[in-house]
Amino acid sequence: MRKMDKAVADAYFRKRTRHILIYLAIWFIVSFGVVLFAEHLTHFTFNGMPFHYFMGAQGSILVFILLLFVNAIVSDKVDKDFGIDETENKRISAGKTLDH
Amino acid sequence: MDAQFWVSLALILASFALYIGIAVYNRSRQTSDFYVANRGVPPVWNGMAIAGDWMSAASFIGMAGTVMILGYDGLAYIMGWTGGYLLLTFLLAPQLRKYGRYTVPEFIGDRFDSHTARIIAAVGTMIISFVYIIGQLSGAGVVIGRLFEINTAIGTIIGVIVITIYATFGGMKGITWTQVAQYIVLIVAYLIPIIFISLQMTGNPLPWMTYGEIVSKLGELDRELGLSEYFAPFKETNKMQFVALLFCLMAGTAALPHVIVRFYTVSTMKAARWSGAWALVFIGLLYLSAPAYAAFSRFILMTQVAGRPIDDLPAWTQSWIDTGLLQLIDTNGDGILYWEEIVISNDMVVMATPEIANLGVFVIGLVAAGAMAAALSTAGGLLIAISSSFAHDIYYRLINPQASDKKRLFVARLSIAIATIVAGLVALDPPGVITQIVAWAFSLAAGTFFPVLLLGVWWKRANAKGAIAGMLSGLIITLSYIIAARYFGFSLFGVIDTGAGIFGVPVNLLVTYFVSKMTAEPSKKIQEEVMDLRYPEQMTYKDGEVWIHDSAK
Repeated sequence: MRKMDKAVADAYFRKRTRHILIYLAIWFIVSFGVVLFAEHLTHFTFNGMPFHYFMGAQGSILVFILLLFVNAIVSDKVDKDFGIDETENKRISAGKTLDH
Repeated sequence: MDAQFWVSLALILASFALYIGIAVYNRSRQTSDFYVANRGVPPVWNGMAIAGDWMSAASFIGMAGTVMILGYDGLAYIMGWTGGYLLLTFLLAPQLRKYGRYTVPEFIGDRFDSHTARIIAAVGTMIISFVYIIGQLSGAGVVIGRLFEINTAIGTIIGVIVITIYATFGGMKGITWTQVAQYIVLIVAYLIPIIFISLQMTGNPLPWMTYGEIVSKLGELDRELGLSEYFAPFKETNKMQFVALLFCLMAGTAALPHVIVRFYTVSTMKAARWSGAWALVFIGLLYLSAPAYAAFSRFILMTQVAGRPIDDLPAWTQSWIDTGLLQLIDTNGDGILYWEEIVISNDMVVMATPEIANLGVFVIGLVAAGAMAAALSTAGGLLIAISSSFAHDIYYRLINPQASDKKRLFVARLSIAIATIVAGLVALDPPGVITQIVAWAFSLAAGTFFPVLLLGVWWKRANAKGAIAGMLSGLIITLSYIIAARYFGFSLFGVIDTGAGIFGVPVNLLVTYFVSKMTAEPSKKIQEEVMDLRYPEQMTYKDGEVWIHDSAK
């Protein structure tokens, strides 16, 4: 175990947090944002149905799935850039549960 | 008893034999697996198991019907129950994985280092799971009621007996591969009918590409009848209620005790992120299909059943009238059944659609087996959440710390039996349709736990007094609002019972924040543990510094 530069550790946390805030902003726009303006989005159709209905029934869910995968892939890359080794993570977290 | 009865029963029993078989097979191998250090289930399969565990009677039986009855306003359920996975995977699941506590009372009790907080969390978990289980039991009642062509209340009693036996098998719940099998059964059962209907109606086997046209046509049919269009927003409820419900379903998803506990099978924070992503793929497959179910079913009812002479209706109508979920009354007495004269319960839509579309006994039986898988698998998880909260967090930690393992197991079994029977009695005359009852559970989970979990993970300054005051105020406000809105017609800003958490969450958040600020800060050890959650497992926060573990090369 060796000490890490505090600035590097802080940079890791800031980068991860910034990404999550961006994803949550998109999450908010495609769900709550579309609902708030639903009446104004009824006039054009997408995939055969009015756009506000499409977003509620299909569009938002597809964006949600996409965001979760982007998060998983980008987080892996951030971990890699900061020299985090997943096999080491596994070794450390193994058995770290509370017995009862 | 006709051929349909025997085919449905055989498929239900065969699927049960499959789950039990997998459980027994895995248990016998477990002793050897035990020593293979940390094998971990790959995230794809783990995601599928989470999906199987997550999708309950509300998703399978209730949701499509809710969308059919409410039109656009029902889509709050579709977006809410998927969007919540983002809050869970971004904000809570990886951190809880690193902290190493998976049940909500355990996390809250240890993070805030308080017995009182643990007990409140245990009681909250029991209330939420109890409400949720009422929805599952009434779902089982719908399936069994249709199967035996009896009233759903009697179906519910049979369901209670089956679930009690299933849950006392014990341990079966924890096995990932059983849940994978349950997911496969329920998704196949859900997709086959709409693929066939899509093929029949449009010649294209991909319902997701074709039902949009049907939605637009439904709007035209409604206009001709002088009704508000199927897809028109905020006609059944209002915009504020839609937003409130959407918010509660999302925050509730991230804070439901029996969902959070599912992340115990993941090996690391990274695996938690991938499992969450895969889980939503598998969940999304059903949620993307529910609006198709709704549209096809409504279209067939409007074009093929409505407008027929009342004494020349298809045979399936009678068996659903017997369950009490369908009413066809020729109110104007002209011998013709009109769309407005059909009173259809949300809860029969998915089960009845294959019959309405005349898809044959095998498909109808398959849907029954899928619905039972959804209701029973979730009910099992909920019963375990209730019994572990009671037997472990309340009985063992509080009442009798000297209790032997045998005694604790007995208390756990007893609490399962009591919870099932009491919930069964409530479900005999369900206080609402399935999606509505389940939405209460989500509002309660959001109001009681979401702010405390969020602050507990992200804010080191949150302390026990804050968490206790926050949970109590959130729970009381949400519960009182549900009761006042459901039974006394109380309403603020047009929000009804299902959206109650929109008031509970901010109150809980503010109370936790201010009470924490006004009281002493938590111990240095706890604050360091919270700081530690910012980093992956390999990094450790200690004494204001971050340490990195080098691989033992």
